[in-house]
Order: sequence, then structure tokens, then C-alpha cells
Amino acid sequence: MSLFSYTKPRALGEALKLLKNGTLAIAGGTDLIGLIRSGLARPNALVDLTGIDGLRGWSIEKSKGLRIGALTPLSDLETSAALRKLAPIIGESLRDAATPQLRNMGTVGGNLLQRNRCWYFRDEAVPCWLKGGTRCFAAEGENRYHAILGAAECVMVSPSDLAPALIAYDADIELVSSLGRRTVKLASFFITPSGRQRKEHAIRRGELITSVRIPYSALQRRGTFLKAMDRKAWSFALVSVATAARISGGKAHDVRIVVGGVAPSPWMVPAAHKQLEGSALDDNACLAAADVILAGAEPLRDNGYKVTLARELIRRALRSLVA
Amino acid sequence: MPGLRVVKSRDEFEGEIFESLSIIQGSDLPPHAAGAELDEIGKSRKRVDGVQRVTGRATYTQDVTLPGMLHARVLRSPYPRARVRAIDTKKAEALPGVRGVLHRFNAPKAAFRGEETIFREEVRFIGDEVAAVAADDADTAARALALIEVQYELLPHVTDLEEAITDGAPKLEDGGNVFDAGSLKRGDARAAFKDAEFVVEGTYRTSTQLHNSLESHGAVAQWDGEVLTVWESTQHVFGVREGLRAALLLPLSRIRVICDYMGGGFGSKGGAGKYSIVASLFAKQLGRPVRCVLTRHEENLAAGNRSATLQKIRLGGKDGRITAVDHVSWSNAGQGRWVANPTGPTNTLYDFANLTTKSYRVVTNAGSLSAFRAPGYVEGTFALEQAIDELAERMGVDPLTLRRRHAAAQKDPRTTKPYSLKRLLECYTIGAREIGWSTRRAGGTRGSSPHRRRGIGMGTQIWGGGGGPPAYATVHFNSDGTVVVRAGTQDIGTGTRTVLAQICSDELGVDLDRISVRIGDTEGPYGPISAGSLTLASVGPAVRLAARDAREQFLGAAAGVLEVRKTELRMERGHIVSKGARTSIAEVSKKLENNTVIGKGSRWPNPEKLSIKTFGAHFAQVEVDTLTGEIVVEKVVAVHDIGRIVNPMTAESQVQGGVIQALGFALTEERVVDRALGRVMNADLEWYKVPTALDVPEIVVRFTDRPDRRANNLGAKGLGEPPIIPTAAAVANAVANAIGVRLRHAPMTPAPVLEALALVR
Amino acid sequence: MLDTIESVPPFRGPDAVDISLTVNGQGATAHLPPQRSLLELLRGPLGLTGTKLVCNAGDCGACTVLVDDRPIYSCITLAVACEGKRVETIEGISKDGALHPVQEAFIEHDAYQCGFCTPGQVMSVVALLRAKGKPTEDEMRRAVAGNLCRCGAYVNIVKAGMSAARRGK
Repeated sequence: MSLFSYTKPRALGEALKLLKNGTLAIAGGTDLIGLIRSGLARPNALVDLTGIDGLRGWSIEKSKGLRIGALTPLSDLETSAALRKLAPIIGESLRDAATPQLRNMGTVGGNLLQRNRCWYFRDEAVPCWLKGGTRCFAAEGENRYHAILGAAECVMVSPSDLAPALIAYDADIELVSSLGRRTVKLASFFITPSGRQRKEHAIRRGELITSVRIPYSALQRRGTFLKAMDRKAWSFALVSVATAARISGGKAHDVRIVVGGVAPSPWMVPAAHKQLEGSALDDNACLAAADVILAGAEPLRDNGYKVTLARELIRRALRSLVA
Repeated sequence: MPGLRVVKSRDEFEGEIFESLSIIQGSDLPPHAAGAELDEIGKSRKRVDGVQRVTGRATYTQDVTLPGMLHARVLRSPYPRARVRAIDTKKAEALPGVRGVLHRFNAPKAAFRGEETIFREEVRFIGDEVAAVAADDADTAARALALIEVQYELLPHVTDLEEAITDGAPKLEDGGNVFDAGSLKRGDARAAFKDAEFVVEGTYRTSTQLHNSLESHGAVAQWDGEVLTVWESTQHVFGVREGLRAALLLPLSRIRVICDYMGGGFGSKGGAGKYSIVASLFAKQLGRPVRCVLTRHEENLAAGNRSATLQKIRLGGKDGRITAVDHVSWSNAGQGRWVANPTGPTNTLYDFANLTTKSYRVVTNAGSLSAFRAPGYVEGTFALEQAIDELAERMGVDPLTLRRRHAAAQKDPRTTKPYSLKRLLECYTIGAREIGWSTRRAGGTRGSSPHRRRGIGMGTQIWGGGGGPPAYATVHFNSDGTVVVRAGTQDIGTGTRTVLAQICSDELGVDLDRISVRIGDTEGPYGPISAGSLTLASVGPAVRLAARDAREQFLGAAAGVLEVRKTELRMERGHIVSKGARTSIAEVSKKLENNTVIGKGSRWPNPEKLSIKTFGAHFAQVEVDTLTGEIVVEKVVAVHDIGRIVNPMTAESQVQGGVIQALGFALTEERVVDRALGRVMNADLEWYKVPTALDVPEIVVRFTDRPDRRANNLGAKGLGEPPIIPTAAAVANAVANAIGVRLRHAPMTPAPVLEALALVR
Repeated sequence: MLDTIESVPPFRGPDAVDISLTVNGQGATAHLPPQRSLLELLRGPLGLTGTKLVCNAGDCGACTVLVDDRPIYSCITLAVACEGKRVETIEGISKDGALHPVQEAFIEHDAYQCGFCTPGQVMSVVALLRAKGKPTEDEMRRAVAGNLCRCGAYVNIVKAGMSAARRGK
């Protein structure tokens, strides 16, 4: 474990100044502490963000939509009755995410930035491609939990339950660094590690997530979140599905289907959304959309079941929009 | 002392004869009179050590901190098989705070399980011990490990059971990888198969289950120049003492082992570990106390497991009976020297007339198996009880009816001895009623929605649990009339202190709150390992005799103090009673001043002409989502025939725990090993999935609760293992009933369920 | 750069630093490196060994304590990050020698076996009852879903929690 020093700034500006080479930001620490202990992160200093005011909690305005501060503990989102009314998919996605303790510790920003849970990646003795090695051990090894879709050199899967839920609301994230601010579609913030990009997130050095924003219009969508686990609690998703759509006259509009646990990033296929525009979301339509989403599936030795599972969860999550 | 006798006793378990000597005195007590209402035995009682457990004040080995204590960490092999050529420790030793380094080139010989040293020349699994460091703190020790330079010569390895039994696999021992581990023939199975009307055949696979006791293995050793005192999280303080004697060649009088509280063991903490020897060697060498406690990761590599099995079972049926049985099992023992026997239930549970069974131990480059709660029986029952259901279905017989035909016999088919007590049919009756067996339909029933199917299934349990000698106890009166029970047993978490106090209380007529039980210390009288479901049936009768002895002595002393004849006195609820006069025990004790009355008791041998077993049956109701492969266990009914129940509340807890651990085996738990690397990928509690509170179904616990009056003076038998044995089979049978396809693989995760339903491309 | 130096708080460590916080209602100080966890602080310098170390990875719940009333895993919480915070451990919930009602209920319902996970379980239940006086059984079960019990005492843990809730925690 690296020997790091520590500080806790009170303002965002201070934090940005402190984030330089060798320093890392920490909030809940639920992922970072594990990364440090297993040598996957080797900071010489930690900047604790939890003392910063203004990045906690959420607010809603018609013009600006829903804004959730990056330092908001997951449990605050999960337990808020008001938010449940406003953006139900968020709470649903958090209900089975980790445990009460981890939801108390973990923050929105940290959840989106958590690194993948591939057991080869996490095993410090395995020099896997993502860590700078030459090959993906999971591709030929033990891969029941790995990607069936969209993978390149690395077959890990995106672990966040929250991410698919937010993406189903067309969420953006706001990032800040000492160079300025930028807003990124959350969907494109997650990247598939490939080529020279041996990482999962499009975050730049010295940059912090400050908030997640959901356009007001997207909150008119109904939505649901389904998660299949191999234990009834405290498991990363085998497959998770967030769906959202505006339902009018029994027909679906602006459909969103985001699948977790199947690809290196939350998996979304716009063609499937288009296909369901104006659909009554009957079984056949839902399954046809699922087939579009899963069309490129190339299961590995042990994860063919995920295709079956994803297809069925997509169907159910879509059906529930009109149920 | 007059009347001491030595008797030899022979107990059979799985065809193996265990002989022991016990020193007994006078006569054994008869079991409590039939129907007698006792004040304590048979009553639900809160644990006498409950306050310690809920306040965090119970001292576990992890909590022992001694002045000047050093921290030892173990360097473990990063390769599944390699020869240790050279070790350079210069850099590690130069690290400030490092006090000692041990490895194969400098460590004193220390015999361990048939080997001369704890550091092998050929390391044989990832996690095998290579060296150890003692330092001022755990971090320094860990940093020092990274500075030790080892030259390894890599050797070909094999970790997978089915790969290891193939001809092409690297041969790990002179005799290859596969070793006979027992066989049995009864009648003529070959002829019976020829003659059978129906034959079913199946290959079953069970996965490696990791104990994951929450407190990891560990020891703290202190050497004062005369006595080595070791605190260890163990199921057998005397076993640890014996292991340390063999390793360190110290006289027993100079080794003391203490285990006040322990955070689970489930079979894996049966004796001294290499960590105990490491701590002890350092403590002797460096003259400071040394702690060596495994991390979770080490625990899951090197502290034992339930071996994975491959089992082939074939049953033949005719005229509504099972007429032929053939069961062969291979177990992945890793580097273990023994193996549990998955064919045990097949050999002993039913009155099969024609049977052949064979069991093989397979050596691989993986961590050694160690006993895991009903080793072999959980795995074997999973296969046997599914095969019986399959045959019953083929024959068109209700599976429970078929079992009843073979479970009624009152004779042990293995030894032909009559059972001391067997009420298995009653278990079936109770369980069938509680689960609603009559509502079971071939092909299952519709579940809570159209794609969900509901099914009911059951499984049967047989296990030993009769206990036996040697086990000793003492009971002494303090001068204030309070009582201390001492026994060399330890509480693995079942509530040992509480039941021993209850037994003592009834025998003495002294209230529970005036009795203290001291266990987990080799300075007490010898006690057996807390395993094999034998603690209560072994130690309990000895405590009862010790209490009687103490009572008789105390009455004798009281006679002198009160100046009456002893025969006129009796002990009753804290008082000495004679002809209407009542004197409190405390008052008499006070008069005796410090003349301590110490009663002694020992466990008498088991009746040689009887077979003492425990029986039970579990019934499960499940709902299966046929489109996602999710299995929801809705209800488990667990019925056990284990003789007298001393404390219904703690007994029920044990059954619930057994069922839940079994559900882990059945549904979620599996050690995953990368074969090419030989690495355990989930040596943690993240991907190795033990059940959570949300994985628990409704659990109905029932006991036949009839004292086994011929077994021992309590009529009680063991309960630790029985409740983990039949659950997985019951669940698998319920799943097969629900979806019409049989899963022959544990754990039954969504993947195999969907595969069985042929839904996976 | 001058502006950096004057406007940001200094880094502390990597050697031992002073940490002060409130533990079980009393001020506590310790001197230890920023790499150390809250669990190490509790079990080591503060001698509060009731909180258990099992996985050291946030995978089991045995180290659960309350920080500002919320249950968290102390094994993956940095001690230095708890500066100025209010920490409660199993040792702090029984007052004046009297057991907390949740502890009483655990004993009454035999909500443990080996007892190693018990302090963590108790803290999770205590936290739930503070946040929600009358939880449902499902809420109770979910409140301890982050506390593994290898002995499988869950049935009685939930029973004990509900019983404590009925008694008004």
C-alpha cells in the first residue's frame, strides 16, 4: 500500500489546486481504498472532497432540470420520497446496490467513477491488459461475470447500477478542473477500454465530477430498473436493465433502454429506441428490441446465460412501462 | 480415589473404528426418567454468555493483545507448484522493525501432519507457506514479505478435479493423483442391475465450498521461558496442544492452549495450524509474544475447504423398491492427506440390499480440504437423494413413499447392529405435514406468475452424533455456594456453556445464574474436539456425573456441618433439605470455609452392541423463474431426530444456521479457480457469496425430541452437522419438481438453471 | 506557486498525524498515519476491540460502526477522514452498565451463534431504529443485508430487531 498524505479542503477551488500529479480525490472511499490496498492506485496524497460545501444534495428547477451534487451519499437519493416521485428509476437502482453501509459511504460521483470488479483486474498479481499487460486473462479464463457485448481488448463489465438509471434519463455530468468546466453526456463518459485507452471513464487528470443533471423533460418519462443477481443482496448485477419512456395514449415515446453488466460500459443501442417509438410495447415488440440490443452478443465460455437473462430482463423492464 | 476403572470403547463411524480409553468411576447415571419434567433440561434458556457476545466484550483470539507483542505474517507461494531453490532475506531483515525471518533453510524442524517442516521444498498450491516474518507491527511484516527474494523452479500443475484424473495430467505424487479412499460391497449389485426394471444414472458435481468462518485462523503465542501459552481460535484446544507438542517437542506440561471465544470454525479449526507453529517458533526464538492471524485472502487459500466432487450414481429399481446401487465419487482434496466420503450416506442411510460404492481422493495443486460441517455427507446426499427422486419418478412411485420403504429398518445396514433409537419415519411424517406434501404434484405447480413454477422436494439426513469418550469435567462449589463447571471443550458458537450449565443445574438443584462454566483451556479436564456433532453427547454426560459427584460430596460435608446423617439430606433448589429443615447451600458452603468440594465426571463408553445415529429430513418449497433461472427458496421444513433437546432455543438456532449454510452450498457458493494460473479468483467475500439476510426463506424447525435413552445418560445426541446435510438435495428435488429438469450441479446459479432449461444458446 | 501555498490546506502525513474525534460520546485523540483505517484506530490505540476485523475490504459488515448516526464500514474508512466526527461503537451503546434494548433483544432471541458478527449486526439495527421507529420486517432485513453472518443467525437477528422496535427501540 502506498504511503499517502491527506488533506481536506473546504472549497472546490482549493481541491482543484491540490489535485496535481500523484494526488487523488477521495470521497466515500468505498472503491479507492480497495484500489490503494491492492496497489491498483498508488497516490502519494489524497484530497478528501467531503468537506466541500455545495456538492451535496439535489435540487429541481424547470429551467435547469434535476441537479444532483456529486458528493451526495447514495443513501440520500435512495431514501428520499420526493426524489422517488420525481425520478423513480434512481431510487430503484440504488435499492439493491451494495448495502446500507456502502450507500451511506458512497457518493454519486464515486459510484460513477468506480473501477470495474473483474477479478483478474483486481488481483494485483495478474498483469492484465487493462493494467498495462499484454492480454485479457478473463477472455480465456473464468468469465461468468464478464462481457457478452461491446468488448475490445478487455472483457470487464461496467459495475454501476446507478449509471444505467441516470442514462435512461439522458443525464449529463458536469466536470470541473483548473482549466474550466465541461458538460458531458453520461452515456459517453463511459468508454470501452481499447487501444491506448486503458481506462473506463473519460475523466481527465485533475478533473472532478461536480454534478449530474437530468433535463426536466426526461423526468416526464416513466421508468423502471431491474437487476439479476446470483445472491439476493450485495451482488454486482449479472445483468441490470433501466428502461424509460414517455407513455401517451398507451404508446411509448423517447424510449431508453440501458443495460448494465453485459458490456464494458452501460449498453445502449439507439436503433432499438427508434424501433419502439410509438410502440404499445407488447411482448413481441419488446423482444424484437431486445434482439436488436443483443444482436452483437459474443458470449465467452461461461457467460452465455447473460444473453438469455438480458433478453428477458429487457422485455420485462419494457413491459412494466405500460403495465 | 477408589473405584477407578479403565474401559476401552469402540465406536464406528463410516466403517472406521475409533478406539478410546476412558477412566470411569462408580456407576453411570441412568437417563432422566421418561417424561420427567426437569427444571432446566428441555427448556429454552438465554445464553449464559450472551452479554459478552452482544457487548463486544467476548475475547476472541483476534482481540488478544499482549505487551511487546510482535506481528507475524506469512509469505505464500505465488505459484501453484514450484521448487523453492533459494531464499534471500537480507533486504527484509534490514527493514527497521523486522525482528525475525523463518524459512525452509533456517527454520528448526517442526513436524506438521506427516511432514518434517512447515516450509516445503516443493510448494504445492498458491498460498503454500514459504517464509514468515515477525515485526513490530503488521504493516512492517507485510512490507518485509515483499522484500524476501525467492528463487522458484516452476513445475507443471493441475488444480481442477476432472483434469487431475485424466491420464495427461501432471502426476503430483509417486502414486499419481488418484487414491482409493474406501469402497463397500453389499449383496450383488451387478446381478441386481441386470434384474432391474428401471435404471437411472447421473453424474453430479458439487463445487468447492470455503468455510469463511468470520474469525480467520490465528494464534497468539507467548513463551515465558517455561511455559508456552497459545491463544488460538480453535475447535480443539487439546488438539492444538498436541500439534504444538509434536512440532516443538515440548512436554505437554509446558504448553497451555486457550480459546475463550471463537468466531466460527465449521470443521476447519481442528488443530494447530502452521500459523500456530510460526507464532510459537518466533515467540520462543525472540522472547516476545507473537501474533499470527490470517487475512481473509489467506484464509480462503490455505485454511481448508469442502472439496469439490464428481459423482456417478446409478440406481436400479424393481417392484417398487430400490434393488441396485452403484455410487462412485472423486473428491478434490487439494493437498489434503485425508478425504471425506461422499458415499457415506449411500452406505448407511437406507437398507439397500445390493450396493457397490467407491470413493477416491484426488490430489491437486489447490489448498487442502479440511472438514467442513458434515464433510462428504452434504455432497453425497445431494447426489443420492436426487437419484432416488429420479428413480421414483421413473417408477411412478411417490418419492417419499419410496424412501419410507427403505428407511424403516431398525438395523444399521453397515454394521447390522440395531439402532439405539431411530425415528426417521416420524421425521418424514412431520415434515410432509408441515410442507404440505399432499399438495405436491408431479411436474410442479404454477407459481406466482405464468413463467414461475413452484415445486416441492425433500432430502434425508443420516449422521453420527452419538459422541463418546474421552471427555471429562469437574464441578466445584465455591465458599459462597456458587458453582464452577470446568470442561476442556470449547464453544464453536452452539451455546456449549449454556447447555452444560443447564445440565449441571438440574443435577445439583442450583439455579443457572449461580453456575459458571469455564471452557476452552487445556488447564481444564480433557475435552474432545467441537466437531462431528459430538460435544453435547460427549461432554454433557460427563458434566452430569461430575455434578452428581459434587452433590454427593457436598451432602457428605453438609452432613458433618449440620450434624445429621447424609442419607437424610437432599439438595433442592439451592438448599440442603432434611426433614423439613432447609439450609441454603451458601450457608453450608460458608461453614465449610475454603474446603473446596470438587466433583469429577467422565463420559462412559457407548453401548457396543448398538448403532447410534442421528436422522432427519428436510422439505423445501421453491419457486423458479423459468425465464431468468432465478431460484427462490420459499420455505424449508427441517425435522431432526437427535434424541433429547437440552435447549430448544439454541437447538433451533443451529438448525436455522445449518439450513442457511446449506443454501449457500446449494445456490451461491463456489470457489472459482483459474486453471491455467492455478489462482483462486474469489478468495474474498465479494465474489465468494455466502448467504445474506435476504437469502433466507421461512424455516420451520421441528424435533422428534425423544431421549435416546440407550445412547448416554442424557439421551441427547449431536446437532451441529445434521441440519446442513439434506437441504441442498431437498432444494434440488424441489427445483426438478418445479421445472421438470434436474440440476446435477451445485451451486444452482442462474447459469446452470437456464442451461438445464435449454434456454442458453 | 505562491497562490497555492497560501490558499489551500496543507497535506498531512504520510507519517503519523494527530487525529481527534468523538468516540462513544467522549473526545478521543490518536497519532497515526493517514493510511490507517478507522477500524485500526478503534481496535488499536483506542482498545475498542468489540468491533471486528474480518475481510478488511468492505465485504462483510463485521466492522460496522456509526459515524454521525449512519452505519458505515470502519475497515475501509480512513481514520483521518473521521476528524471531528461522532463515532459510535458497540462499546458505546450500553449506558451505565445497562444493555441497549437491541442488545437485550439479541440475547432474548438468540440472535447470534459464534458472536463474531454480532457487534456489527447490533449497530446496523440500532441505526435503523434511530432512523425509523417502526420499521417493517423487510426494512429490518434490508438493514442487516450488509452484515454477513456465517453461522446463519439471520432469522433470529431479524426477530430480535423487530422485537426491539416494538419495545420502542
